[in-house]
Amino acid sequence: MTWLLLYLLFYTAVVLYWARLAAKANGDFETYFSAGHQIAPWVSALVVAGASVSGWLVLGDAGRMASQGFGWPGQLQAGIALALPGVFFFKRFWLIAQRLRLSSQGEVLRAYYQSEFLVVFSTLVAVLFAVGFAGMQLGALSRLLANLSDGMISVSVAATVLSLVLFGYVALGGMRAIGYLGAVQTVLLGAVIVGFAGFAIMSLGGFGTLNQSLQKLAADPANAGLFNVAGVIQFTAGIGREAAVGHEGTALASLGLAMALMGFQASPLAAKIILSTRSPRGIAAGQTWVMAGAFGGLLALFVTALGASALIDPGLAISSLLASLSPWFSAWLFIGLLAGVQLVAGLGLLTAGEALVRHIYKPWFHSGLSRKATVTVTRVVVGLLVLTSVLMQVLTPVTLSVLGGLALPLAFQLWTPLLGITWARWITRPAAITGVGFGIAGVLLTEPFGQAVLSFFGLDLPWGRWPWTLNSSIWGMVPNLAVVLLISLFTQRLRPTEEALDVQQLMHVTLRTSARAAALKTTAWSVVLAWLFLAVGPGLIFGNAAFEGAEGAWLVGLPSLWAWGLLFWALGLGMVWFLSYKMEMASPLHIDIPTFEPPRRLRRDQSAAEQMRLRALLITVGVVFALAVITALTFGQ
Amino acid sequence: MSDQQNAPNLDRGILIFSIWAVFGFLGLGVVLEGFKRDLWAVSAIGIGGIVLAFVAHIIVNGIFDTGFTKGETALGIGAYGLLGLVFIVAAADGGMSKADYYSGLTFFGTLAVGFLAYLSTRHGLRGAFSRFHHKAGDQKAGDGQAVAR
Repeated sequence: MTWLLLYLLFYTAVVLYWARLAAKANGDFETYFSAGHQIAPWVSALVVAGASVSGWLVLGDAGRMASQGFGWPGQLQAGIALALPGVFFFKRFWLIAQRLRLSSQGEVLRAYYQSEFLVVFSTLVAVLFAVGFAGMQLGALSRLLANLSDGMISVSVAATVLSLVLFGYVALGGMRAIGYLGAVQTVLLGAVIVGFAGFAIMSLGGFGTLNQSLQKLAADPANAGLFNVAGVIQFTAGIGREAAVGHEGTALASLGLAMALMGFQASPLAAKIILSTRSPRGIAAGQTWVMAGAFGGLLALFVTALGASALIDPGLAISSLLASLSPWFSAWLFIGLLAGVQLVAGLGLLTAGEALVRHIYKPWFHSGLSRKATVTVTRVVVGLLVLTSVLMQVLTPVTLSVLGGLALPLAFQLWTPLLGITWARWITRPAAITGVGFGIAGVLLTEPFGQAVLSFFGLDLPWGRWPWTLNSSIWGMVPNLAVVLLISLFTQRLRPTEEALDVQQLMHVTLRTSARAAALKTTAWSVVLAWLFLAVGPGLIFGNAAFEGAEGAWLVGLPSLWAWGLLFWALGLGMVWFLSYKMEMASPLHIDIPTFEPPRRLRRDQSAAEQMRLRALLITVGVVFALAVITALTFGQ
Repeated sequence: MSDQQNAPNLDRGILIFSIWAVFGFLGLGVVLEGFKRDLWAVSAIGIGGIVLAFVAHIIVNGIFDTGFTKGETALGIGAYGLLGLVFIVAAADGGMSKADYYSGLTFFGTLAVGFLAYLSTRHGLRGAFSRFHHKAGDQKAGDGQAVAR
């Protein structure tokens, strides 16, 4: 306990040291939101990777492996799945923002699509990440801290203290503190992943013993489900309604998991880091070597080993392992996990705070807000979000995890508008907006949150969570994509906005891919589709026995699906390198991007309209609340 | 100070913090584990980790063409002095096992030798001596700072 407190104190001191440095460099508020776009590319590469992995993949993947074995091999490809969106979007998104002089995803969506709906949706995703996704992880860590202290620290005290530290550095240092500290947090997170796996494997008696124990486990036919994908798909009614045969981990369930992971780097959080970076020179290296390479390897090998150790001996699950180690080691490992979680939480809070204040409150209700006041209001909003998160961690942890579960699949729905901006200019404004609307519906109808809301109003859906063993990210993306294709087909004659035309000119003329890359296009499509099919798609079924010999002997000394996963992680790394560099999707670029000069528009006094909007908002909220209560009382259960 | 001027120092700071967060703290943990288990070999591995952190720190200093900052020097010497004092008191008390005693000697001996090696490679043998030895005439008028030869 003493060691844990000492390490926590030291961590807090380091955090506040960097926050102070950042606040000084910010001039208090001048560059609070985007660090003056001066974050070094290598720092940005680390922070993107650290935030993508956060503590969630360590806790979540190891936990899933410990309880369900290798039945979800898609999680072994997490590093590649997380890296792909960055390869597709980051470079072009940075260049567009540079051209239009914008610094966040919401602003780019507003400039390109002129859609307030997409701005609100992007803001909502940021809030879900800040409060739900990060809050869920902070809650887990608070419970862990309470456990480690043998009840001397209660969960509520732990949650409050950890959140105060978080609030302190976000409010003081803004994006700069998140960037500087984030790089350190990422390195520490990577180290403790190795540490956790190392201690677990040593406790078991070595890597050989781990695999021998796994082999013994696999010899029992009752455990077959732990080492197999449960078919390509199972047409069940979903979790909570109808159990799948064997287990829920089908090949397409893994695909859905990979797609949900692809949501993170399409989210406003990842965009915030990229748009605060000095130049796009580090994107290719960051996505290839840091995200897909280093962290992909850590996830495929070390986190899997950690989970597999707990599969053999439940005493090696993260919480038990921490309790059994010497106090200095468990303190160090805990701080590493905390660093990973606080990285994504801090980034989420800043992004959500900025989006709520700069993208919604200021343009709609208070355009006269000064720069300094905007930062002050954002700090207050960040404080309120932290408070909400703490209250939910302590009082309603289940609701928090339900909300947290929405963040990734909803963020994945942003792929279509982002594709429209960066690559597919044929995606029109109405198509992107309607597609996202359908995507949201698809996700909500297959997640407990949407089902609980409908049930509250008396409408019970005949399916549970993730019907047909498909993740809600797929249930959202299928209608999203279908609607985008259909509506785009019929609305090609609509004239885009000036900004959109300029962006299209930039993307498809100035940034036209070279002849060499264009010649490789077919190869690239084939490579990506083949990888998706075999590594995270239906082809996973081949992995069940690909590395098994006669009578089920393991050919490489590892479970077949683990060996399959490691092979496709290595091939995936090659694919990310190929797309980033050879296809020039994320490669360094050395051209000057002149600033776009928008057509001059007359600025009118907005105060009367803003007053009216505020009044309309209050009335709408009142009416909707009253209608909700009446409906729930009439039809609800 | 502008961002561009700030950047090298901040980049260096991030690297230094990362190095010590990983190698330093892990090394410290392994040293303590050696004390707990009464195993000199385990402590020696931990000391190796701390030495590795120092080496990485010096490499980063080399890349950024700088030395240890005043804060780092003060922290390093302060920690060394404090831990040394604890070790001497514990040794004098007589409650230390043989493994603990040799672990402590290895730790302080390695750091002392490493420190001297660092000074002599960075400043040369004579220069290293001059870091500590200042003649009265070396005092700059007014600012009170010593000028190393």
